Amino acid sequence: MNVPKPFHAIQDNIARVIKGKAQVIEMAVVCLVARGHLLLEDVPGVGKTTLAHSLARSLDCSFKRIQFTSDLLPSDIVGVSIFNRQHQAFEFVPGPIFANIVLADEINRTTPKTQSSLLEAMSEAQVSVDNQTHSLKQPFMVIATQNPAEYHGTFPLPESQLDRFLMRLRIGYPSLEEERKVLNRPYALHPADSLAPVLTAQDVLELQRRIEEVHMDESVCEYLLAIVHATRQSELLSLGVSTRGALALNNASKALALVRGREYCLPDDVKELAPIVLSHRVMLSRAQGMRAQSFEQAERIVLDIVETIPVPV
Amino acid sequence: MVFNQACRFSAIVLAATAFAGLLFARSMPSWLAILTVTVLVFAILQTFGWPSGNTVLSGLPNAPSVWNSLLIGAFVLFLLDLTMISRELLPAGIHFLVVLLNVKLMTLHDRRDYRHLYAISLMAILASAALTTDVWYVSIFVFYLLAVVWSLLLHHLTSGPPSANPARAQVSPRATWFITNRFFWLTNGIAVLTFLFTLVIFFILPRISVGVLQKPSGEGLRTTGFSERVDLGMIGSVKEDRQIVMRVELPDQADAGKERFYLRGLAYDQYNGRSWSSGSRHRRSLGGIADGVFAVRSGANRNGYGLSEPLRQDILLEALDTSVLFAAPFAEYVSGDFIGIHVDSMTGLHLPYTSSSRIRYSVVSREHRLSSEDRTAAELEYASAIRDRYLQLPEGSDQVRDLARHVTVSAVTPHERITAVLTHLLSGYQYSLDAETTTSLHPIDDFLFRRKTGYCEHYATAMVIMLRTLGVPARLVTGFLATEWNEFGGYYTVRQRDAHAWVEVFYPHAGWITLDPTPTAASIPSPSMWEGFQRLGESIRLHWDRAFIRYSARDQLAVIHTLREGSDSARDAVSRWTVALGAAALQLMRTFVGQVQTPPPVMTWALLLASVIALSALMLAVRHRWAPGHFTRGMPVKRQQQIVQHYRSMLRIAARRGIRIAPSTTPTELMQHVRRSWSEAESAVVELTALYCRARFGNSSLSGEELLRAVDHIRALQRLARASQ
Repeated sequence: MNVPKPFHAIQDNIARVIKGKAQVIEMAVVCLVARGHLLLEDVPGVGKTTLAHSLARSLDCSFKRIQFTSDLLPSDIVGVSIFNRQHQAFEFVPGPIFANIVLADEINRTTPKTQSSLLEAMSEAQVSVDNQTHSLKQPFMVIATQNPAEYHGTFPLPESQLDRFLMRLRIGYPSLEEERKVLNRPYALHPADSLAPVLTAQDVLELQRRIEEVHMDESVCEYLLAIVHATRQSELLSLGVSTRGALALNNASKALALVRGREYCLPDDVKELAPIVLSHRVMLSRAQGMRAQSFEQAERIVLDIVETIPVPV
Repeated sequence: MVFNQACRFSAIVLAATAFAGLLFARSMPSWLAILTVTVLVFAILQTFGWPSGNTVLSGLPNAPSVWNSLLIGAFVLFLLDLTMISRELLPAGIHFLVVLLNVKLMTLHDRRDYRHLYAISLMAILASAALTTDVWYVSIFVFYLLAVVWSLLLHHLTSGPPSANPARAQVSPRATWFITNRFFWLTNGIAVLTFLFTLVIFFILPRISVGVLQKPSGEGLRTTGFSERVDLGMIGSVKEDRQIVMRVELPDQADAGKERFYLRGLAYDQYNGRSWSSGSRHRRSLGGIADGVFAVRSGANRNGYGLSEPLRQDILLEALDTSVLFAAPFAEYVSGDFIGIHVDSMTGLHLPYTSSSRIRYSVVSREHRLSSEDRTAAELEYASAIRDRYLQLPEGSDQVRDLARHVTVSAVTPHERITAVLTHLLSGYQYSLDAETTTSLHPIDDFLFRRKTGYCEHYATAMVIMLRTLGVPARLVTGFLATEWNEFGGYYTVRQRDAHAWVEVFYPHAGWITLDPTPTAASIPSPSMWEGFQRLGESIRLHWDRAFIRYSARDQLAVIHTLREGSDSARDAVSRWTVALGAAALQLMRTFVGQVQTPPPVMTWALLLASVIALSALMLAVRHRWAPGHFTRGMPVKRQQQIVQHYRSMLRIAARRGIRIAPSTTPTELMQHVRRSWSEAESAVVELTALYCRARFGNSSLSGEELLRAVDHIRALQRLARASQ
C-alpha cells in the first residue's frame, strides 16, 4: 500500500529507534493525525518513553516531559503567576504543558487533582490560571504512560478520564531478533537524540485538516455503529462505548485511512482500531474479574464483539 | 441490473400487465389508454436512467400536495363518471383505478408507493377477471403471476431490516446487489412452481364441498336397510349410532318441529321368513321437467282421491353408501343438482350413482289420504297386479294367520280389520332393542308368540304378514323417522339411530297409506343443556356449509346482481341530485350570460383533446420541475457496482476452496487468508480486492478497463479453483 510521503518519513524515522514495532508506531502517528491523545500502558522498560521521545523528535515541535510523582501539583503542569517587581505585575510563567508534544510519564503516580488538571487541558486545549485563559500550542498531543503491573501508591485513572485518550496502546516485548539489534547499538548516545525532524508543526496541522476529506461510506459507518451498539448490549460489559467513543473511532478510522494512503475508509480500518480505541472506554461487568487483568480482558471482549459484527459487502 | 432498479422495473411491468388486462377486457376510453401507455413508457424510461442528469432538486416540497390535489380531482371525475358519463359502478371504478395507477406510476419513489402500486394492480387484475371469461386472460394472468413473484421478491429483498428510524428502514445493503443469471432463473422457477402448484390444487380440489379431504376413503357413511335385500334385525344394530345422516328443513311449515315425520327410503314386497327383498328390479328413469327438476309421480297414479297438502322438504344428505334418496311419502317433484333420477316400482328414489359428497335437494311430497269409501266399504276389490305382488307369504305362516283371524274376529270391514291388527301390535308387545332375532330361524314367530319384544322391523314385518294372511295388500318400508328438531337452525337432524321400518297398506281408492305399528319408543331423551349446545354447534356447522363451502358461482352472481341493483338505485339518486344541481347552476349561468349556445360536437371533442394534452403536459412539467431526484435516487446504475458482484463471486470461489470466510471477515483479512492457504491466487485476489474496496467504499468509479481486468481475475480464479480440485 502506498503510504504518502510525510507518513512514511515519520514512521521510518521512529522505526530507527523503536525496532520491530511498526504497528505501534503507525498507531501513534494515527493518534497524532486524529488530534488525539495517547495512553501507553505497559511494563517498564519496553520503550514507552522512547516512543514518545522519538515521535516528538521527528516533528519540528516543542517537546516537554513531566515525570508524575505523588507530590506533583497542578501548577507544576500548567504554570504559575509570579509577581514581577520590575513591571509591578503578575506574570504568567507557563508550565511544561505549553508544548506541542507532552509526555506525561507514569500518570497514575500523581494525585487525582493533578491528573485532572492535565486531562482538562487535554480536552479543552487551553488552561485557565488566575482568570486568564491561555491557549495551548497547536498541534497538541499528550502521550501518557502508566505501568499496569504496579499498583502500590498509584491513583488509577477513572473511566471518565480514560475516555479523553483516543487510544490505549501496549508496546510489548520485542522479538529476539529486534532485541539483539537494540543491544548492538552504541550505548553512549540516546537513540532518540540522533533523530532529525522530518515534519514541521505546520505540516502536522495540514495533515490533521485532511482528515475531513476522507470519505466514509455509509455502509462502513453503519458497521462502526453496529460495533458500538454491540458493546452497549454485551452482557460481558457493564458500560458500553459512549458517543464520544464512537466519534473517536470514526476519527481514528479516517486518520488510519489517511496514514495508509487512502481517501476512503475500509471496514478494515474500523475493525483494526476498535480494540485499541474502545477497550479503555468500556467497563467490565463484575463477573469479568479484577482490575489487574482488565486491560487484556477488555481488549479480548471488544475483539470478540467485533468478530460478531458482519462486515458490509 | 441492480436489485433496486429491477424492483422498480418489475413493479411497472406488474402495473402494465394489470392495465393490459383491463384494456383487453373492456374498451377503455382511448385517451385514457393512450395516456396510461405514455405514462408506462415514461416510467420504464425513467427506470433506465432517462432523462439522465436529473439528480438535482430532490427536495420536492411541493410535489405531494400537487399529486394529492390531482387525486382529489380524479375522485371528483370518478363521481361525475359514475353519475353522468358511464353511469355504472364497474366502468367508472375502472377508470378511477387507471387514473390512480397513472398517478402512482408518476410518483413512484417511496416503498409505500410500491405497495400501493401492488394493491392497485391487484384490484385491476381482479376487475378484469370479473369482466371476462376469455382465454386470453390466462396469458395475462400467467404474466401477472410472474410479475407478482418478481415484484414481491425484489421488494422484500430490497427492504431493509425494521428500524425505529423510518428513513433508515428504507435502505438495504441488498438494494445494490445485481440480478445474476442464477437469481433470474431461480425467481422465474419460483413463479412457474407457484403456478403449477396452484394448478395442482385447482385440479385436486376443484370444490371444497366435494369433500375429497373430508372422506379420504371416498366412501360414504355406512347405512343399513337400504339395499336390495334386508335381513330382519339389521336396523337394530344402528339404533345407538348418533352419526348424522341428513338434515331436513321444512321451509313452508310454520310449526315444523312439533311432530315427527317419516322419510321414506325403500319399500319391499317379498318376505321369505327371514329377510325382505324387492320382487321387481325395474327402475324407471325420470324425465326432467326443468333444469334440475324431476316429476316423480306419473299421471296414472294421480287418481285424484284425497291428497294431503304439498309438503316441501329441503334435505342436505351426507355422503352415504347407498344411492337412495329419502323423502316424505310420496314425492311428487325432486329438484337438485342431479344428472338424473331413477324411480323403482315402489316409488323409491335412486340416484344413478352413489354420491361421494354431501348433496342438497328439495322434494315436494303429498301423502295419500284415506277416503271415506275405503273406510266404510264392506269389501275392498284389488287389482290383480296388486294382489299378485303384495299378498306373498312366507312358508309356515299358519300360526300368524290364526292370530290375525283371532285379533280381527270382531271387525267387519277391511279397514276395521287393519285397525285391529295395528292396535293389537301397538298395545300387546314390548319395544326392546335386545331382541336377538338375527339368529332365530323364525323371527316373526318368535316375536309374536314367544318373546313378545322387538323393535320396528319386527312390528312392521309382523303387521305386513298378518295383513297379508287376511288378504290385505301391504308392504314394508324402510327409512328414517325424523324426531330431533334443531331449534337454532330450524331443521330436523336425522341420525343413523333414527332408521326406521314401517308399513304401507294399499287401499283401492286412496292408494298406499302409511301405518306405523311400532309404539313410540319410551326412551325419549331428556333435553339437557349439553344437547342444546350440541344442536347449536350443529346448526353453526350447517350455516358454514351453506354460506361458505357451497358458495357457488350462482350465489356469486346473485350477490353481484343485488349489489348492482343497489348501486343503480344509489346512482339514480345521486344523478337526480346532480341534474337538479346542474339545472340550477345552468339557470344561474343563463341569467348571467344571457344566452348560452351549445357548442357543436367537434368543438367539444377538440376541447376535450386539448385539455387532455394540456393535462399530460402539465404532469410531465410537474415531474420535471419537482421530482427528478426522486426517480433515480437509490438506484445508481454505476458500472463499477458490478465489482461488488465480482467480489461476491470471489468470496464464493474462495469459500469453495476451503478458505474460512466469516461474515466478520474484512477484505484485508480475506487477502491474508488467501496469502496463507492459496498463494497462487494471491495476485488476482489482491488486485480484485483493491478494486472492490475502491469502488465500494471509496466514492470513486472504475474505468471499463479495470472492470474487464476484474472479470479476467475472476476467470483466472475459477480456473485455479477447478485445477486444484
